[in-house]
Formats: sequence, C-alpha cells, structure tokens
Amino acid sequence: MTTETADIALDAAQPTIRRRLPLNAPLVAGVVLLALVILAAICAPLLQPRGPTAIDLRAVRLPPSLAHPFGTDAIGRDLVARVLFGGRISLLVAGAGMIGSLLAGTIMGMLGAFGPRWLRVVVDRIIDIQLAFPYVLLAIAITSAVRPSIPVLILLMVLAAWAGAARVVRSIALQERGKDYVKAAAVIGASPLRIAMFHVFPSVLPSLLVLAAMQMAAMIVFEATLSFLGMGVQPPTPSWGGIMLDGKNYMTSSWWLTVFPGLAIVLTSLSLVLIGDGLQGRRDAMREREGDA
Amino acid sequence: MAPVLSVENLTVSFPGRIGPMPVVEGVSLSLEAGSSLVIAGESGSGKSMICQALLGIVPKAATVTGNHILWNGRDLLEADERQWRAIRGAEIAMIFQDPTAALNPLFTVEHQISDVIRAHRRCTRSEARARTIEVLGMAGFPDAESRMKAYPSELSGGLRQRVAIALALACAPSLIIADEATTNLDVSIQAQIVRLLRRLKDELGLALIFVTHDLGLAAEIGGDLLVMYAGHAVERGPVQAVLDDPCHPYTRGLLRSAPTLSSSRANPLRPIPGQAPRPGTIGTAAPFNSRCPVAISGLCERVYPSWTEAGLGHQVACHRFAQDGRGGLP
Amino acid sequence: MTTVEARDIVKTFTVHRNGRHTVTAVKGVTLHVAPGETVGLVGESGSGKTTLARILIGIESATSGEVLYDGRPITSARDWRELRRHVQYVFQDPFTALCPTMRIGDALAEPLAIHRICPPSERRQRVTRMLDLVGLHPDVARRLPNQLSGGQRQRVNLARALMLEPRTLICDEIVSGLDVSIQAQVLQLLLDLQQRLALSLIFISHDLRVVRYLCDRVLVMYLGEVVEEGPTATVFDAPRHSYTRSLLSAIPDHSRPQSALQPDQA
Repeated sequence: MTTETADIALDAAQPTIRRRLPLNAPLVAGVVLLALVILAAICAPLLQPRGPTAIDLRAVRLPPSLAHPFGTDAIGRDLVARVLFGGRISLLVAGAGMIGSLLAGTIMGMLGAFGPRWLRVVVDRIIDIQLAFPYVLLAIAITSAVRPSIPVLILLMVLAAWAGAARVVRSIALQERGKDYVKAAAVIGASPLRIAMFHVFPSVLPSLLVLAAMQMAAMIVFEATLSFLGMGVQPPTPSWGGIMLDGKNYMTSSWWLTVFPGLAIVLTSLSLVLIGDGLQGRRDAMREREGDA
Repeated sequence: MAPVLSVENLTVSFPGRIGPMPVVEGVSLSLEAGSSLVIAGESGSGKSMICQALLGIVPKAATVTGNHILWNGRDLLEADERQWRAIRGAEIAMIFQDPTAALNPLFTVEHQISDVIRAHRRCTRSEARARTIEVLGMAGFPDAESRMKAYPSELSGGLRQRVAIALALACAPSLIIADEATTNLDVSIQAQIVRLLRRLKDELGLALIFVTHDLGLAAEIGGDLLVMYAGHAVERGPVQAVLDDPCHPYTRGLLRSAPTLSSSRANPLRPIPGQAPRPGTIGTAAPFNSRCPVAISGLCERVYPSWTEAGLGHQVACHRFAQDGRGGLP
Repeated sequence: MTTVEARDIVKTFTVHRNGRHTVTAVKGVTLHVAPGETVGLVGESGSGKTTLARILIGIESATSGEVLYDGRPITSARDWRELRRHVQYVFQDPFTALCPTMRIGDALAEPLAIHRICPPSERRQRVTRMLDLVGLHPDVARRLPNQLSGGQRQRVNLARALMLEPRTLICDEIVSGLDVSIQAQVLQLLLDLQQRLALSLIFISHDLRVVRYLCDRVLVMYLGEVVEEGPTATVFDAPRHSYTRSLLSAIPDHSRPQSALQPDQA
C-alpha cells in the first residue's frame, strides 16, 4: 500500500496553495499601541520616581509644561505620574477582571453545553438572569454593602461580564456538540469532560480570544466609570476614572486634568478593540478557509 | 444537422502563486439540437467548470479563454454581462446538484417560476401562471395547480429537483445543462429524473449536457460521452461505444474501479492508484501520466497527446493508443 | 454464535412541524452479524438504516427492542462502553467525523489513551503501524483534517475505529461522498483489512452496486422495515419483494443497454 506514500511525497514537493494567514493592520496597530501603554505603566516607577502621591502645594493646577508634561492637579501632584500609576491599577483591575470573567464564563458555558440535562437548564437560567441585571445596579448594590477595594472591584467585573462570555462559549459548544466528531469521540470512549476540553474547547478558543480583547476594552471603561462615580478605586490610589473625578470640577479651567486620563482610557480601549477586530478577522478568515476544504 | 453549440479549445484558469492554474484546458465539444452529451469525470476534472463557463458564471478570479464558444451564431467568449443575462435562463438553462440551494426558501414555487418567466418575457400575470403550470406538468410535478403554492422546504428532494427542472424549462431554452443533477437523489428518483430529461430532450428537441461521475448513468442518458481527467478531455465518442470499448487507460481504470450489479469479490475491483494531479502541475505532459499503467517513458511525461481515431466518432488522446491501436491491451 | 445482534428495534421520533406527530423511523427490525461476515444494510433516504446503525452503537436509543452483544443484552452505560471496545463505528462524512483542531496522530492515539491499552511510549508506534495498515504515510500524523483529501480522511476514520482492535465494524455510508477511483481504493482496503483482522462488517449504503460487491448477506430496508433479507446473490439475482425489484431496476448500469430502465410514469 505505498500509493499514498507516493502521494504525500508528491504533496510535499508541490508548493502549498494554503498560506499562513497574514497579520492584519488592526491587529498589529492594536498590539503596538497596547504594548506601549503596558510598557509605560510597568515603567512608571522609573519614569516618575517621585510617585503619584507627592503633594506639592506650590504647584497647584499648573498647565502642561516641560517640568510637568501633563500639568498638575488640585493639590500639586504631577499628572504624568498619576496617569502612569493609575494605568497600573486600571490595567490590573481590567486585566484581572477579564481573565476572571473568561474563566468563570468558560466553565459555566461548557457546563451549559456538556453537563447533564438538569444542570444545563440551571446554567441557562443563571446566565439569563445575570445578563438581565444592569451592571450599574449591581455595582451600587455591592459597593453599598462592602467597602470598595481592588479585590472587590475585580469581583464586580467578573460578575458583570462572565455571563456574556458564558453565552458565547455555550453557543459555540452547543453547535460543535451536534457535529459528528463529538459523537465519534463518544463512540471511541471519550468522557464528556474529555470531549469538552480536548475536542470542543479548541474550537471555542478563537472566539474567546476575540471576546477577551473586547471585554477588557469594556472593563477599562467600566472601571473608569465606577471610579468616576466614586464606587471604584478609592483615593489616594490613582486610577484613570478617579483622576477624572478629581478634575471634574475644573473641566473648563484646567482641561488637562480630565483630558489626559480620558485620552489614556480612549487609547487603551482603542488598542484592545483593534486587537479584537484583528483577531476576529483572522478567525473569520480561518473559518472561511476551512469551509473551502 | 448543424451543431447548436460549438466549443473550441476552452480553457479556464485561476491565478496561482507560481503561475496560472488551469482547471479546464483545451477542451472542445459540440452539440446538436435534440442530442445529449454526457461529461463524465471525477472531482477536480473540470466538468463543472465547463458548465459554468457555458453560462458565464465562472468565479470572478477565473479567466476563460479559447478559440470560440459558438452558440446560435454568437461567440459567447465575447459576451458581456448584459448579453449573458439575456441568455441565461432563456436560451441556456442549468440544473444544479443541490435543489435546496438552487431554490429560494422564502418564495413559493409558483412565485419563483413566474418570476423567471416575466424576467425574460413580457407577459401578464395570468400568462406567466399558465406557463408555470405547464412547465411544472412537463417536469412531472404532480397536481401543479394546487401544489405550486408550496414552499421548497415543504417538498421532498425529488420534487424540489422537478421544480428546478421546471424553472429551467420555463423560458423554453434550447440547451439544458444538468450538473450532477441526480447525485443527491435516491436511486429510484434518480431513475425517474433521468428518464424525464431524456423524454424532454426528445419531445422538445432540446440539447442536453449531463455532467456526472457515474458511468452507469452516462449509459442511461445516451448520446455522446466526453471523459474528463484533470481538466483535460481524454476520450470522446458515442456513449455505448466508449463504454463497450474504452481506449484511454483512465477510462478503462475508471470502469474497472466502479462496482456494477455484476461485480463480486470473485472479480475484484481494481482501483487506480494514487491521486489526480493538482491544477498547474501537469505542464506539457500527458495528464494521466503519473498514474498510467501503460505510460511510454520518455514520451508521455514530455509530450501532450493529440487525438487519434478509435472508431466511428470515437476518439482518444493517448500516445500508447496512437502507437499500437490497442492502448496497451494484450 | 453472533457478535452483534439487534432484536425488534423500534424507534419513534416526535416531529414538530404542522402540529406534533410521531414518526416511526424503525419499525421492529431484527438483525444479526456472525463473526467474519459482511452484512449489507441498503435503503434509500427515510428507510431507517442509519438510525438503526446508530442504535446498534448506542448513539441513538431505541424506543423499544434490545441490542445484544455475544448474546448479552446491553442495558447500562457500562455495557455500552464494553460493547464499544469490540464494536466500532465509522461515520459517513469523513470531514465532520474528525475533530478539526486535533492533529491526526493525536486523534488516533486518543482511543489508546482513554482505554489505557498500552503505555504512552508505545502509542506513537501503534499509530504509525495503523497508518501504514490503512495505506497512509506516517507524516499524516502531523497534519490536521483540513489538510487531507476526502479519501485520506476516510482512511483516517477507518484507522481510528480500528485502533481498539474491534471485532465488528459498522460502516455508515463510508464511500458515498467519494470519487469512484477513491471509493475503489477504500473498498479494497476494507476487504483487505477484513481478511487480515477477521472483522465482521455491517455495511450501510444506498448504493446497491457497492453492497453487491462487498457483502455476503443483505437486508433491504424500506420505511423502517426490512422488506427482504438473504444472501447477496439470491437477493440480487432473484428478488422477491417488489420494492427490491424496483430498486434494482432503477440502478444505472453501464453493462446494460439504455432501454433497460423500466417504463414508468416519469
């Protein structure tokens, strides 16, 4: 039976028609931008050794200058320092929130697709209820009960976003579950857990990555919103939303107090959305390609 | 009788990384009114692409070239989209493999057929309706008047294909192309559809091109047979003559590997080893060379064979046959 | 002694279209396969043959009736697991039957891992041996399903079913979507494997020509019932039921002249 052997050799000798997917513009742009933001945040102590809480009452509300490229705030703190250090907090909270929500969402979503009948129904209902609940209400409810701190904030993020992830995961998993290869895996003896993890999850992953980027973008804004409303990161710890809250009363007189943190939020969010967009493009191109096979 | 369709040297190719990839190369065929041509081949042989070229629906990336595609005195190679639109459905019609994909699930059978009629002719609603009932009847669709209000999803596969046939007949075309039109159907329905197409061809004087991978079906359709391999025509002639006396090693290999009602394990099937070559990799060699049991080394890998006579109207493109007149048989 | 047996299998579905009504896909079918035998199950769409096959392997449950293996009825999940060590199923569409994200080598090693047949170090060897047995180059192990042709994928499917060294193989329309020459290769492979591994085969197909070629015995199904059953030669040469006769006469055969198709209202 060496005919197929000859085919493979022939196959290998011929140039493949399939090419690796090229990197697309949004993905590259997003990654570069995000990398810059993260780098700046990481290097905050190096760039601003004085720290975000150094008060200098002689330098109150100074406009941007060489000494203070972003200006200073109402109690003389350097805004560059505050934005950079605030970035660490904002990125941390959003990142942890995103990872947490995706983890919880994946587990729930997979349970909702592969679990026993009763469990699937229960998970369905829980997801529906959670999705129907407006996050601001949730935030108010939780922050009135517990003092808002970073772990609480992260928990809030996870609670607000896990259901969206669960829904995506469940829908893809259910779709795959109906396909023959899942039945084939059952016939060779694979348990539902094995099928969920090794057969179906890899098909869920591309969409999950897209969701990750979009979720994190939303969480940057979510955290900023909560902090702006006073329910998020508490002073003196800087966060972008918090900085904007401080500068709220001086929006027309000292524009730099709201514009720079706002810009940071926009740029970070934008970079993540671009990444999400790029990943989505890649995923759709991959799907289309498989469709022609 | 003068041929109603005459294709010479048709080539359809796609752009490739290292050069053009022809999926149909140098194919010539001709067809008279009231006769049928079966184009037989496996996937990748180019048979469907020929049909698409005859309707002007090749993918945008593809280039169609050739000496001519003469249809009723016009050269279709020069046709622009406006001319194609006038021809499609009205002069040349096609029936596809999957009737579900060919019919719009949102509109009733009556609506779809009447639509096509009124797109090509100026007639009143009731005239279109009458014609719809007429063609549905011709296609063997039972109780046309009452059942034509049905949606495609309410019909079985066989009935859907009859609707597709009625659609094709609606504007009284002179040529019908059936591209694997019975492949998805049950055997018994397949037989009915084949009989129907043959009858329509005889009664209406249509020209019929029937594309299939099933040589048994080719025998049922009758007329002429064109055997395709990797984009090239390798043998052609009257169907029964080619099937009774196949001269090209590929045709022979195909017949030997297809089970028939008289096959049994006592006569084992003899598969053709290997796989068909990918487009653009044949170069100037004989297309079947890489898998041919009677290839002439030094010749078949370098020179493209020309047509040799093998009987009345029966021709084969094979060096071995040209050499010994027997194609390597003892 | 029989290996797999189905007794009085009935399967009903409820269909929700234009109101609820029940559809009986399988109406009391009994079938058995003896060791080393090839049994063909033929029918057109709606005959119930695929449903029956899926019931035999447990991916569909019967409404009533039982499946037996070596004479013992299969009732619990444990029984089904036991049955599936000895009876395997090959799906029709080779592309959808393989996990699109799993490399072939991993997919083939998986049954070995699940049932702990051999130590991990030996798995790769067995996979290579199996690929060779089905006529594929060992390099195929590194590929993904979408990098293989239809014929190659079907061989992989067969290979995976054979990894557990079953005694019976249920093949559900495994050559239906394939080109004639590839079909012939896979059929030849099947015969070859059957001889070498002493397999029993249940071969489901709508193509009577293939069944004629491959099977010792054949069951003809129509609308959920077995209308005729017997040795292949007998059923094909001297069919007794009218449905079998009409099915046989509808088959296009290039060894018969054109007018052989029965006159019928077209």
